[in-house]
Amino acid sequence: MNKVTTSILIIFILIVGWVFYLTNIKKDNSLTVRYYSISELASESNDIQKIKVGGYIKPNSIQISDDDQLEVSFFVYQNNDSVKVNYYGIRPDLFKDDAEVVVSGSYNNSLISATELQTKCASRYEGDLKNIEKI
Amino acid sequence: MISQIGSIAISLAGGLIFSSFIFLALYRKFNNDNYLQVAERAILATCYSIFLAFFCLLNELLISNFNLQYVAQYTSYETPIFFKVTALWAGQAGSLLFWTFITALFTVCYIFTTLNKMKKLKFHSFIILSFIFSFFILLTNFIANPFEPVSPDIIVQNGNGLNPLLQNFFMAIHPPILYVGFTGSAIIFVMALAASISRDISFEWVQSIRRWSLFVWTFLSAGIILGGYWAYNELGWGGYWAWDPVENSSLMPWLTLTAFIHSSMIQEKRGMLKKWNFLLATSTYILVILGTFITRSGIISSVHSFTAENLGPMFFTFLSMLILYTLFWFIKRKSYLDTPDKIDSFSSREGGFLYNNLILILMCFTIMWGTLFPILSEAWDGNKIYVGASYFNQLNIPIGLVLLFLMGIGPLLSWNNTSKSVLFSRFKLPMILSFLSGLIYLIFSSIFQLYVFVAIMGVSFTLSSILGEFYKSYKKYNRSSNFFSSLIKMFLSNRHQNGGYIVHIGIVLLFIGFIGRAFEVEKEFSLSPGEQIYFSNYVFKLNSIKSEARDNHYAFLSDIDVVDSNNQLLTNLKPEKRIYFYWNSDPEKRQPHSELDIHSTIQKDIYSIFSAYDAQKNIGYFKIMINPLVNWVWIGGVLMVIGSLFAFWPSKGRRR
Repeated sequence: MNKVTTSILIIFILIVGWVFYLTNIKKDNSLTVRYYSISELASESNDIQKIKVGGYIKPNSIQISDDDQLEVSFFVYQNNDSVKVNYYGIRPDLFKDDAEVVVSGSYNNSLISATELQTKCASRYEGDLKNIEKI
Repeated sequence: MISQIGSIAISLAGGLIFSSFIFLALYRKFNNDNYLQVAERAILATCYSIFLAFFCLLNELLISNFNLQYVAQYTSYETPIFFKVTALWAGQAGSLLFWTFITALFTVCYIFTTLNKMKKLKFHSFIILSFIFSFFILLTNFIANPFEPVSPDIIVQNGNGLNPLLQNFFMAIHPPILYVGFTGSAIIFVMALAASISRDISFEWVQSIRRWSLFVWTFLSAGIILGGYWAYNELGWGGYWAWDPVENSSLMPWLTLTAFIHSSMIQEKRGMLKKWNFLLATSTYILVILGTFITRSGIISSVHSFTAENLGPMFFTFLSMLILYTLFWFIKRKSYLDTPDKIDSFSSREGGFLYNNLILILMCFTIMWGTLFPILSEAWDGNKIYVGASYFNQLNIPIGLVLLFLMGIGPLLSWNNTSKSVLFSRFKLPMILSFLSGLIYLIFSSIFQLYVFVAIMGVSFTLSSILGEFYKSYKKYNRSSNFFSSLIKMFLSNRHQNGGYIVHIGIVLLFIGFIGRAFEVEKEFSLSPGEQIYFSNYVFKLNSIKSEARDNHYAFLSDIDVVDSNNQLLTNLKPEKRIYFYWNSDPEKRQPHSELDIHSTIQKDIYSIFSAYDAQKNIGYFKIMINPLVNWVWIGGVLMVIGSLFAFWPSKGRRR
């Protein structure tokens, strides 16, 4: 009986320790990244090491480098604010004007150098009727 | 015409479910069984009108009635019939009706089979079911009505059509399979609550809820694995799991349900842990609704989520009501659910199950914490902070490894208590094999990776332990000299346990696949035809890039020879870059798509993506990934489903 009580105690301590560890992950920079809105970034002049931003691709802002097809720059906008993004790598298939994107990377001199570029997944494709031919 | 019938049918369902509340109230007041009977019929009638609405929508999709907004949005005349059917759950409104439809299907099954035997559970089951139905009927009627016509000033000539990226078999079938699992957990929720409220937890009830759980578990597992399979083979990021909120919200109920299936076994055998089981059974459905809330409210930025209408507040209200209702009855029935027995020893089968529960819940909690972290941190100090895949990996890998060993330890423990000498004799062989495999890894690996080392030891430990159990029971049945007949006899002798072991072997194989992730390598490069590149002991030679106009898209076809280190041609890869709607003058409407090519073997996959093409310079941009052991994930997944079906299938003697 006693052994069981001790075991329960040990398990309890482990769980408390685990919870404590979880609540402190915020300080661990390697695991977390702060999400900024575009308007927040517009007023941010400091450099930020790790950043995650969501928004829409500004129409006609996509520029693919002539030397290297994998090199691209574009603007992400939300309401009236926008920010420039540089990215090198494979672009998702749904990457185009007005596509909703999530960008992660670093923020230097009002420019995001993205290491990760994701478009909203097509698995829940909510098309609207604007594409339908009307009479 | 048909669409009006459908529209009326879902309104009618609303009226019927409302009337069932009235009759339930009358039954409560006058205690006349006739009222309960009428309430039952009202619920059944609700289900039937939902069936009707569902088939009306199916009909409209099949005949391409573009007067309905939903039909115009997700299909066109060109959409193949198969995808017209799957458009039922491609969008918000349709998927909600589909969800309601499956709930109705399960409700009919539940009323005619389970409730027929356990009449005492009827009243409270009906109350909770009516509550769940009224929520979903409310949604399909007022928030996301699939029978909504297009605005009167538009005549739609042809519909939008389903996004070509979604026109994929696995994409089409994994959501409904998951939905079956999600909605099935509602029945488990109802059963657990109804039995506790009416103080009627019987042995028969435990067996019945276990069968429902196994059934739901099978579909949840299959849905999760198929989703991963689709992502790996179609999406082109080379993985099958990304710890996205959508994936997490399907994994969380899976974990609690897995825990429930194990701990309810203790209740079945020894009548213990009623409180704990109550919480597990109810939290599974609550987590399903939480997951739906997360993915449909847009509260957490996910690459999958709906950016939805006003569904967020609705789901939040529903979720809170479910939680409050559950907690209310949990506190009220606490003394009834209390069980005096205590677990005698932690080196017993019960103890093993408890550890397993603890680990699964810890994992579930960790995942929930990470998924909700952006909301929690924003509420805490206004900073929306996301945790990445590294968080989930760093925390879940060690927990998962403990679980891996537990799967091998559990079967070796006896009920009540296991003496030390028995323990030692049973553990001897798996331990030796485990150390041996660890030693082999140490000798042959060039770089030491702790998790890989532990995982290899865990895999061989658990595999040998389970196979040892099979061998033991095989020897028991080995009276006839024929090897196969005694093998079959052995498997059929105890389906529950053997099915469980098969599932465990499947999970061990999953772990073998996970080990492979530690050795993945990838490279992005550009090549002109005739050029070649050396990567990871292979030479990739681009022979040509051709273009071709096809039925509904334009394709650039690459042709890559893969030559191994012995200068032998290993395979030829042909990843494509496709442009759908290429004839459209508006470039925005053209839809590029990278069609992968994978050379898949049991040891490793060579995964190739044709990511971009520079037509002027004739240069192709490619990404190659070498993903070891991925196939074991799919093999393990199939084995999991087979095992749980095996355990679920009724055996002759037990049923009736």
